[in-house]
Amino acid sequence: MQASAAKLKPCPSEIATLLRGETKAISAWSENWNALRFAWHVIIIILGAGSYGAAMGWWRDPQQSFYVALKFPLIILLTTFGNALLNAMLAPLLGLNIPFRQSFSAVVMSNTVTATILGAFSPLIFFMVWNAPEMSAKVVSYTAYNFILLTHVAVIALAGTMGNLRLLQLLTQLAHGPAIARRVLCAWLAGNLFLGSQLSWILRPFIGAPSLPVQFLRPDSFHGNFYETVFNTVRHLF
Amino acid sequence: MNENNPIPPQIPPSDSTQNFTANIPNSPPPPPRSGPRPLGDDPAERIAIPHTFAAIEALLRQPRRLLFQLRQPGAGKLIVSMLFTVLICSAIYGVVAGTFSGGTQLWIAPVKIAAGLFISAAICLPSLYIFTCLSGSQARLIEVVGLLAGLLMLMTILLIGFAPVAWIFSQSTQSLAWMGTLHLIFWFVATLFGVRFMKSGFNYADAKSHAGLNTWIIIFLLVALQMTTALRPIIGKADPVLPTEKQFFLSHWIECISISNDKAKTNARD
Repeated sequence: MQASAAKLKPCPSEIATLLRGETKAISAWSENWNALRFAWHVIIIILGAGSYGAAMGWWRDPQQSFYVALKFPLIILLTTFGNALLNAMLAPLLGLNIPFRQSFSAVVMSNTVTATILGAFSPLIFFMVWNAPEMSAKVVSYTAYNFILLTHVAVIALAGTMGNLRLLQLLTQLAHGPAIARRVLCAWLAGNLFLGSQLSWILRPFIGAPSLPVQFLRPDSFHGNFYETVFNTVRHLF
Repeated sequence: MNENNPIPPQIPPSDSTQNFTANIPNSPPPPPRSGPRPLGDDPAERIAIPHTFAAIEALLRQPRRLLFQLRQPGAGKLIVSMLFTVLICSAIYGVVAGTFSGGTQLWIAPVKIAAGLFISAAICLPSLYIFTCLSGSQARLIEVVGLLAGLLMLMTILLIGFAPVAWIFSQSTQSLAWMGTLHLIFWFVATLFGVRFMKSGFNYADAKSHAGLNTWIIIFLLVALQMTTALRPIIGKADPVLPTEKQFFLSHWIECISISNDKAKTNARD
């Protein structure tokens, strides 16, 4: 059954299988590398995260929308590729003996789920932004800004949680038990969050500040890092 | 395949095995097994490791195979190939560490990191052998060298895994203290896995106690940390290439952090 599922040609309807978390089929896909399926998943990540990014940046400016549409999928893909080798090494060391391609495709599929959810929410975000008061340096509604910010946090948290839940189900299937799966997921998550946070910091702005110009990268993008800034902020507080 | 991992993969018994045992009437229960499964009882572990890439693969996925091969005659060749991997991987990670300062550090950092690792290992090898013997282990010197090479190899290939992350941070921060801390965290995580491999190797060498090995691990960590200070600067700009003043690693770190804080305060005032 697994072999027959793996032989199936990748098709757009596969995304439903991923979203439903049908672990037998997904496990077979991860075991049998298929370049076409991988390309399809990357396209979904670009489209899903890109459309969400476009919606996110639209409030500030259409140009900002275009920039964030490029940057959002870039963060996901750079994090996936940047940590691919580390994730592949950590899996066998933590008890899950899977090859590089399998660990890589598992992470890509998890991100595909996340990007699909983000893409599905993008029309809602566009609608919310369309209804929000205009963002300009002269008139800034902090209530609207905070509401939009919190909505983004909630949607991204939901998408990320679902992506990782599906990844945990797949890892549980591959490891034949939850203990190793949880350990591997925690290690992968730690690495991905660590790199992802820094990449997000470098590629800011996303929503955009009304008092600052629309830019692809801030001039000080490569000055300082996310954790240093958080640390300094906490230190200044006390 | 992965039985020497402290927590091996949980593989449920296959249906065929269950049916087989069910069909044998009054089959006696299997004898109770004490201690770890002997190395080489799986035919896959007896397959020779022909080259460096196979050694890396075995270290990550079949550590029992590597441990078995390290006990065979002619293990010296395997150990040399493992040490060669350590040299290459530490040099690559050194280049990544050197990108923080750029310029001459691009070649000084890899040389210092590779040299530091090999010198630390050479300094600690005699004490490791002594502690191994004191613990009642039957491991020969070549096996001890092999296990130490395994520790270094796992450590450095994991550092290669961390290299893209280290590079991203090297390009986006100016704080020497921050970069030093980050490299130390990566080194510490990699060393933890390396030490775990080495300890699993000693489990098969009939050691009666792990107290000596645990003491040696602390010594090795201290030596490696002091080596980062003795060969400083590794990530900062090297002028001169080697330090003229002797310092304990903790006082060097405190000095680096206070310099970094002073710089941050000056920038804040600007």
